Amino acid sequence: MNSNKPTLQEKIARLRASFISQLPKRLEEAQHQLILLKADPCMNRVAAVELHRTFHSLKGTGYSFGFHELAGIAGDAEDYTQQLLDLPDERTPPQWPDRLIGLLQELASQAQILVYTDMRKDQPLETPFFEMNDSSSDKDSKPGACNRLVYICDDEIDQVTHLSYQLRCFGYQVEHFTETQEFDRAVMKKRPDAVVMDVRFPHGGTAGTDALANIQKVTGQQLPAIVLSGRDDFEARLSAVRAGCQSYFTKPARPLELATALDEVMEEEVFEPYRILIVDDEPEVAQYHSLILEEAGMLVHELSQPANLLATLQEFRPDLVLLDVYMPDCTGQELSALIRQFPEYLSLPIVYLSSETDRQKQFSAMQVGVEGFITKPVIPEELVAAVALRAERMRSLRALMVRDSLTGLYNHTTTTELIEGALAQAKRKQESLAMVMLDLDSFKEVNDNYGHVAGDQVLLALSRILRHRLRTNDIVGRYGGEEFAILLKDVTPQVAFELVDQLREDFSKIRFSSGQQEFYCTFSAGISSFPFYLRAEELRIAADKVLYRAKKEGRNQVKLDDGNE
Amino acid sequence: MQILVVDDDALAAEMIGAVLESEGYQPLLAESAIEGMEQLNANPDVGLVISDMNMPLINGIEFFRELREQGNQLPFILLTGDDPKQAQQQEAGLDACILKDFNLDTSLPGLVSEVLNKR
Repeated sequence: MNSNKPTLQEKIARLRASFISQLPKRLEEAQHQLILLKADPCMNRVAAVELHRTFHSLKGTGYSFGFHELAGIAGDAEDYTQQLLDLPDERTPPQWPDRLIGLLQELASQAQILVYTDMRKDQPLETPFFEMNDSSSDKDSKPGACNRLVYICDDEIDQVTHLSYQLRCFGYQVEHFTETQEFDRAVMKKRPDAVVMDVRFPHGGTAGTDALANIQKVTGQQLPAIVLSGRDDFEARLSAVRAGCQSYFTKPARPLELATALDEVMEEEVFEPYRILIVDDEPEVAQYHSLILEEAGMLVHELSQPANLLATLQEFRPDLVLLDVYMPDCTGQELSALIRQFPEYLSLPIVYLSSETDRQKQFSAMQVGVEGFITKPVIPEELVAAVALRAERMRSLRALMVRDSLTGLYNHTTTTELIEGALAQAKRKQESLAMVMLDLDSFKEVNDNYGHVAGDQVLLALSRILRHRLRTNDIVGRYGGEEFAILLKDVTPQVAFELVDQLREDFSKIRFSSGQQEFYCTFSAGISSFPFYLRAEELRIAADKVLYRAKKEGRNQVKLDDGNE
Repeated sequence: MQILVVDDDALAAEMIGAVLESEGYQPLLAESAIEGMEQLNANPDVGLVISDMNMPLINGIEFFRELREQGNQLPFILLTGDDPKQAQQQEAGLDACILKDFNLDTSLPGLVSEVLNKR
């Protein structure tokens, strides 16, 4: 026996793949025959016979390769065509073209599904990557989850369908085009959140990037775009730069990297206003300052009772605090010192607002860790500039401190803080919350068997799915090595359970590869809820307990705390 | 042993060919009855014919009848996407008739040896 010879199963797998890749052509033929038939039903008996045969062979070969749904529809189409052939011309039902067109459409969508699900075999396997077998994220996403629209324009249909499928797994809404004109029209109709564009098209070596540049010229707006090209030469790359594309990928690009780049180009679009907390015992003064900052596009919260400061900090999560130095209950210095007692607020910029012009007094105030001093009466531009500058720095600094460097999710400390904040808010608004503790199953084995690079891919895949499939205001954090904490806002325990269980099912379908090896990974999760538990720590412990039970009862499952733990 | 496989759907033919090959037979593929006839003339060692039923111009049963008319008595298995019983009724001389489905890799080899043993 020659071991290099493909086995029967391998041969069949290859033939199935060819069958799928030929499907579009076969359907095109059927469509052509249908057009002929429609043009002259009486004369085109030949076309009807051919159409019948096309359906028949689709059915037979479809069954032979195990594509039962497709074969079933082809069978219906075959039967219907047979009926048409059997009936005398004058008794042909008038709605026959619609019926056949409908069946053809059904076949086309089946073909689409097969193309998606079978494409994975085309991927080279040298580097770790992951893909989903079955895309339930094709369906409408969860309520509230942001589903960003991505247009892909590439004339290689195989590439496009594969890529769209992959990106859908990551929670994008994807539409694809194979011609730049078609793409242009779609952009004019509905502007996408981002674009993945090929460079070379049949009608021009840089037709793709030219199309992007042209859209920019016509609309005066830059589309966030990424180039994905088979070309890797100076001219192609320059054309991408000139079209304003931020990233350039050469084919074949790994879906995860592409998704990361897409996130980056899109995130520049969303600018969250700076959040400024003003503490001043005189509401009129606070309001005046607040007005100036709001004019400049900032989000301002005014507080006249210093006693409520801690609760407000937790809930409002300001980027900067503007403090009045002299207040009846306590001084600005005292308040700043109090804020600095909390490690999580050590980096929060505090700026004094005061009529104090004495340098010496200003200096002593700064010693408690205050960022700046603005004297009243303020000059509006100065206030805005001083606040914006510091808030911006705070943002960048915080981004480094609060995010886990591998997954980009919140780190342990931040997750805990955010959960406390959300809990305080839920109490006030009388909303329910669900706390999810989630842990990858047998993750150590993944690292041991497939290496740490593969392990990191698993972590990345999970965090990406969590981020894209949950709502932006839900809190998703990496709690420990392979442990994740999630807080879902304003959901009932049952809804939370269904949501997490769906994520669990989808995640278990992701196929990971490392070298020639392929593997799957699962997670278990435990869910507890507020107001069943009132404190963050209690919530976490309760969720952990049911998570432990999920692990003990066989892993790859979600358990809901029912108070009997 | 050489086996002639006739199917107008090249992929289906290859699929059957692959199954036969894995059982140690040498499949010869043809896309139509006419091409099948030519193959038979060029390869006198063929010991069995497997043909699809629904093909343009000459269908499987017509092909079978044509062979018999010419005095060719090779065992003949008909493959069909429809109910195999119907075809069997239509042409009782067929050695076997089998439904095209995804179990061909397990069902076909047994049927082939059964047909060959009967002869």
